[in-house]
Amino acid sequence: MAREKWKYLVKDFDKMVDTYGLAGNLRQCLACGKCVGDCPAASVSPSYNSRQIIQDVLDGNQKRLLASEEIWHCLWCASCYRACPSGIYFPMLMMQIRFRAVEAGFGLKYFQTYQKLALKAMTEGMTFVPREKGRAKVEKLRSEMGLSPWPEVSDKAKSEYNALFEMTGSKAWVDSVANKPEVPVDLNYSKGRINLE
Amino acid sequence: MNKKRVMSLEEKLPSVPEAIYLFRSCTGTLQYPGVENAIRHICGLMGIEVIMDPDQTCCSGYLLTCSAYLPEFSLAVTARNHALAEKRNLDIYTFCNGCYAYNCEFAHLLEDQKTRDTANQLIGRFGYNYQGRAKVYHVQELYYRLKDRIAEKMVYPLKGLRVAAHYGCHYLLQEGVIDDFDLPTFHEEILQALGATPVYYTERRACCGYGVGKVFTHKEEVVLPHLLNKLSSIRDEGAQLITTVCPGCNVAMDREQPHLSQMGRGEFQIPVIDLGQLIALSLGASPVKLGFNANTIKLDGILEYLGIDKGAQV
Repeated sequence: MAREKWKYLVKDFDKMVDTYGLAGNLRQCLACGKCVGDCPAASVSPSYNSRQIIQDVLDGNQKRLLASEEIWHCLWCASCYRACPSGIYFPMLMMQIRFRAVEAGFGLKYFQTYQKLALKAMTEGMTFVPREKGRAKVEKLRSEMGLSPWPEVSDKAKSEYNALFEMTGSKAWVDSVANKPEVPVDLNYSKGRINLE
Repeated sequence: MNKKRVMSLEEKLPSVPEAIYLFRSCTGTLQYPGVENAIRHICGLMGIEVIMDPDQTCCSGYLLTCSAYLPEFSLAVTARNHALAEKRNLDIYTFCNGCYAYNCEFAHLLEDQKTRDTANQLIGRFGYNYQGRAKVYHVQELYYRLKDRIAEKMVYPLKGLRVAAHYGCHYLLQEGVIDDFDLPTFHEEILQALGATPVYYTERRACCGYGVGKVFTHKEEVVLPHLLNKLSSIRDEGAQLITTVCPGCNVAMDREQPHLSQMGRGEFQIPVIDLGQLIALSLGASPVKLGFNANTIKLDGILEYLGIDKGAQV
């Protein structure tokens, strides 16, 4: 893997990533590797390395980090947070790295799926609501076992949920990404794809 | 950091509540609605009133972790949901690890005065006020608390059924939970009280692999190899049944088994149900009411083993 030149490194990148101040003090990272050892994503994709990601954030290795495929491999199980002796809340850091990646135009092909889920959740007050065919199946199942055909979510709940979505700027965030073109990745390194073999 | 995470059950849940605010889980009510009935059945026998609120919305943690929601939104939604429970003077009981973790985590973040004021300002327009009085529990804590009373009322003992427990990640990583993250045993204790044989397998503490929308984007690369490890180790120990306490984990382990078989990764036919469903089954709830039809891997073999008629309407 070609190493980055120092002139590409971005100063104070950690502050640009952790804008909400949720990730703890990254400078206290001991590089002990407990997080990687406990990580289920690292066990199936060896190129995913939470310790390296923290180092990249601290170094300001913006371009490689945001363009990398690995940041989309985290399962958010938070084993790393549990194992960390320095109290770094790595999942919260990962969430914000993805905000930055999407802003920069990387990983949009993944983000678009979540965007659809978010827009659907807005009208229903629930996440993972299926389409027509799935809906009929849910209604049949629930009726069979003596429940209301559809989970009872009031119109008040739905409208307030929707209103909060707009008021907090989440709608603007989701919409801002809608027609963004995917930035091609020109880094010369393996994508870390893992086959079952 | 690394504060004391584990607290004793007596400390956390000094007395059994008379009524609970059952927090509706999206995945639970849509994919495995039988869990809802199971909780009502158990609580009914134990004299606990179950209240579900149509005004409650999704906990909004999942899509935040997918970076599709902004933290401000999820915090405001949490404040709103908690305000609803506070109005009824009830504590929140979730039946999904995700709902539990996000509610705890956001309530923790809302302890900060500035964050709380912002959230209250947003939900104030609809006439809510968040005070942070409602505590968040998971129904599994209630099962553990009541396990001796459950064992007394048991109708169908589980006859040494080999059950593998899956704890999921998002419950045990929180502060103030009732067992240790690395080696929890309280599910096994409940299973033993029901007369089942708990199975200890190598990948017992491994994640289900469904986090952060991975199933939509990285199914082949991440989810299936991970599940293969987990399910193989369960199969190798000869488990007949898997129990979960999170509908998300239940979806992952139940719905993906045929995919692993189709890909030639070996045959997997281990039914996966919620711990509450198993308890309710042994307490005599009918399989129809518990909604086992929703499962991809059918439970006919298990019901036959336990001598329960699968069509019984009780």
